[in-house]
Amino acid sequence: MEGIWYVVGFIVAGISFIFLVIALSWLISHRTKGSRAKGLPYESGIDTYGDTHGRFGVSYYMYALLFVAFDIEVVFIFLWAIVFRDLLMGGIVSMGIFIAILMLGLAYAWRKGVLTWR
Amino acid sequence: MTAVTRRPTLPARALLAGVLLLLVGGLVITLAAVLLLPPLVDFLAANTPLVRFAVAALVLLLITIPVAFIVIYMELKVIARMNLRVGPDRVGPFGAAQSVVHGLKVLAKEDFTPFGVDVAVYTLAPVAVFLTTLMTILVVPFAPGLYGQDFNIGLLYVFAIGGLNVVGLMMAGWGSFNKYSLLGALRAAAQAISYEIPLALAVVGVIILAGTMSLNSIVEQQAGTVFDWNLWRQPLGLVIFFIAAIAEANRTPLDMTEADQELVAGFATEYSGMRFGFFFFAEYVNVFVVSCLVTVLFFGGWNAPFDWPFPVAIDLDPAGYEAWLAFLLVAGPIVGTVALAALLRFFVDWMRWPGALLIAFLLVNLLAVGALVGLAFVTFDWVVGLTWMMVKSFAFVFTFVWLRATLPRVRVDQLMGVAWKWLLPAALVNIFVTAAAVVLVWG
Repeated sequence: MEGIWYVVGFIVAGISFIFLVIALSWLISHRTKGSRAKGLPYESGIDTYGDTHGRFGVSYYMYALLFVAFDIEVVFIFLWAIVFRDLLMGGIVSMGIFIAILMLGLAYAWRKGVLTWR
Repeated sequence: MTAVTRRPTLPARALLAGVLLLLVGGLVITLAAVLLLPPLVDFLAANTPLVRFAVAALVLLLITIPVAFIVIYMELKVIARMNLRVGPDRVGPFGAAQSVVHGLKVLAKEDFTPFGVDVAVYTLAPVAVFLTTLMTILVVPFAPGLYGQDFNIGLLYVFAIGGLNVVGLMMAGWGSFNKYSLLGALRAAAQAISYEIPLALAVVGVIILAGTMSLNSIVEQQAGTVFDWNLWRQPLGLVIFFIAAIAEANRTPLDMTEADQELVAGFATEYSGMRFGFFFFAEYVNVFVVSCLVTVLFFGGWNAPFDWPFPVAIDLDPAGYEAWLAFLLVAGPIVGTVALAALLRFFVDWMRWPGALLIAFLLVNLLAVGALVGLAFVTFDWVVGLTWMMVKSFAFVFTFVWLRATLPRVRVDQLMGVAWKWLLPAALVNIFVTAAAVVLVWG
């Protein structure tokens, strides 16, 4: 239980460290209000047009979906790995079934061309 | 010459101010110490876990600064030597202070907020990115008994925190009012989450062998000689972990997230000043952290690669030295100061005797205090463990730099394909081979 307080305390300490450095930088750096041209987004010299948060490829979502499935799988496999010494052969069989089902999903995605970047 | 009253020179004025400050400050500090220290010491003695946390947090936060400077210097110098260039050689010995100057420069740069950005998200993004890196150092065991905190879910914690890195990158891309930033952040997210899976699956073999996720126990379980390290039992796991770690740390050849030439630095395009600096601060610290993890998981952490043939026991008994102790106390600082000053005087071109003596005096005092504190608090195990840990970790930092100097950036479709089509199945194969081997050996 002591560990969780380390995490919480470390988050607080880390955030204060970062903001202290940013505040120090703010104190010693020079500041200008700047002109309109200075504040424009840098897109290689061409004036920006249209909505920045526009449309982008659906493949990013596909990877995210695959990631969610496999990351949860990772959590299960980690727990299985810890107790593996007590399971031995039975552990291999049950994990084999579990992963085979997941692999079916991956094979389907592979076949559908999700894994090929477009 | 007319008799002009010359104003004191700048160093003289600084010295005068310093002396005045020392006098006044010394008085105030002495008074405060006399009045406040006893209750403070009592309070701290009653709350040792609090003291341990404060020391751990302070050390782990401050260690990131020199680590980042060393990694940047290696990056400058090693790549330069590999390109048959000289590299930085002006600031400090062999240009070693060049990275410090770089850091100070970024600190002093204007921190500008462009138009159209979502200010809150834009400001918090570097905080999130750097914080995830900091949080990982918390569980790295540097030496026997020298670590921030030892969780029984250590490895899971590392990957959980590492996964949060993506949030920071997406915040940076989405918060900036820039199409390049958004595209860079999306690529970064896609890459980071793709390589997260093989990275996590590659260490399952290690967990099976160790039977725990605590990083300390994993290191202890590899005690012995070189041949007890996980390197020999998990060669495939090591390769997968290392490739995925390169991608997780956003290093060339797998650095689609920055891709300076294609995406004008990706998600960091709109950033400037220290908020920009924190992204790269985080990257360099991340290289070190990932190297530490490779060392801990596969290269025995703080274990020496061979049994040390000479047993070492520090057994100091100052009272036994009799007259020599007095000699050491009186003559030691004087001889040390003069010797150091002579060294400085003759090996540093611009050094003159007064300055050399002053600097030598300060250095000797620092060394003496350091030695005393070290003898009092640091056990020999820590020094040895920390040395091996750092040697191994920086060997991997060197490998990261070497890879950057050698290999060109891979194409984005190849990058994503390798993660899902090669590393993921290979990691699963590794798990089952390890499991089968464990069943055969222990079953």
